[in-house]
Amino acid sequence: MKRTVDVSIPLGPVHPCFKEPARVKCETRGEYVISAEVELGYMKKGIERIMRGRPWQEVMFLAERVCGICSVIHNMVFIEALEEISGITVPERAALLRVAVNELDRMQSHLLANFSYCYTIEHETLAMYLLDVRERVLDQLERITGARVTCAYIVPGGVRFDLRGEDAARLRAGLAGIEEEVARYTGMFEGGPLIATRSRGIGILSREAAIESYVVGPVARASGMPEIDRRLEHPTYRKLGFSPVSRPEGDNHARVMVRFQEVMASIGIIRACLDRLPPGPVRGGGIPGAGEIAYHGEAPRGELSYYLKTDEAGRVVDISIQTPSIMNIEAACHYLIRGVTSLADVTSTFVSVDPCIACTER
Amino acid sequence: MSILQKVKNAVRSRSIHVSYVDVGSCNGCDIEVLACLAPRYDIEQYGIFVHNNPREADVLLVIGAYTPGWEEKLAPLWEKIPDPKAAIAIGNCPISGCVFARPHSYVDAPVAKHIPIAAEVPGCPPRPTEILTAILSLAPGVFHDYEVKGR
Repeated sequence: MKRTVDVSIPLGPVHPCFKEPARVKCETRGEYVISAEVELGYMKKGIERIMRGRPWQEVMFLAERVCGICSVIHNMVFIEALEEISGITVPERAALLRVAVNELDRMQSHLLANFSYCYTIEHETLAMYLLDVRERVLDQLERITGARVTCAYIVPGGVRFDLRGEDAARLRAGLAGIEEEVARYTGMFEGGPLIATRSRGIGILSREAAIESYVVGPVARASGMPEIDRRLEHPTYRKLGFSPVSRPEGDNHARVMVRFQEVMASIGIIRACLDRLPPGPVRGGGIPGAGEIAYHGEAPRGELSYYLKTDEAGRVVDISIQTPSIMNIEAACHYLIRGVTSLADVTSTFVSVDPCIACTER
Repeated sequence: MSILQKVKNAVRSRSIHVSYVDVGSCNGCDIEVLACLAPRYDIEQYGIFVHNNPREADVLLVIGAYTPGWEEKLAPLWEKIPDPKAAIAIGNCPISGCVFARPHSYVDAPVAKHIPIAAEVPGCPPRPTEILTAILSLAPGVFHDYEVKGR
């Protein structure tokens, strides 16, 4: 059968809807998108090449700069892999503080992703509200770690700073305010009739297609797969009785709603951490040694894997990083965008999987 | 000074269109530029409008150390911006390459080698208020009496 293509439309690399440079090439027939293809390669810096042969003290900061939005989880996975290799134990208080900071980072990342989605579907009011809540989350993050974005809070054997009693009280008060606002905006998003027209039933990823395309993170959980969450295997999260959220619909609306629900779940996890916080030191001892490990963690966008090999002086001999966005971007192009009925939905569908180009290309 | 010039000065002082381009950063500076849009900093109260269309822009924010993918793209993008225009380097990456300026990396910092940079905001990442201050302090110097000063 002859294939009729009207026009091939490239979106990007500089596009009003994309935060970062990526190029999506859509082949269309009228308004229907027949196929889409993503072209990457605008952000390749070669971080893994720089990391090889360097001591862990330098690699720690490089690992954090793989991705600026989810910097805490990169820091956490690298340091925990290093601790696993060298047999360094972490005090209980430090382990709980790590989880609390990681969840704060997840909250700001999810709020930013939902801001991007609302901005893309031109609901600017809700987008600005979400960006304002995100600033309040960043305030809490700054109070604990001392920096807004790349904070290098987690170090081998513990965390850098202790959480003082008055800061814990301020964090609780801040969380109460954030919870109230996020609940209000979740209601606005869920009940908005115009938002539903732009989001419900668009970019559907069925459970079968999700299994086939190996999507991870909130995208998988929005297609009815709550088991795709690496936090279920993390010892501290298991102690806290963590259970992931999921939704069965698999459309753009479900993906954004899963992120809203995870923000609420993160607030619950931080409160559980603060309740259980025992007195004691936040830094233990230990020297990073030689070994080889593959270690996984749950980034805001999905599963993050580090393969790490060190020598006896703690230098990184070999490292390779697998970030979650590459799975979701490929699934977005081959499953989601192909199904949309209008070219206007291509950008919002692409943004709904929360693509992070910087950590995809490293 | 002609009346036309006065009108142009008045209009340009409260109407700065900003476009941003990421040429290979860690994303940290991108989100700080986006945070400028937030109601807390409220970049639009100063008449600055952030969108991502180079053809309408006055100020280009360059983020990130220069990666090979932009070799044939950044200079044409700079040419597409109508005069008067200015480029601001946001963060350490376009200034020096930050942590990426090491042997075996692909980056080719600084960005000033490839397009003219008018101002630099160091920081890893800089705070939104610093980005805002940089745009506001640069704009009068570039756009005020542009036709009189000569191109």
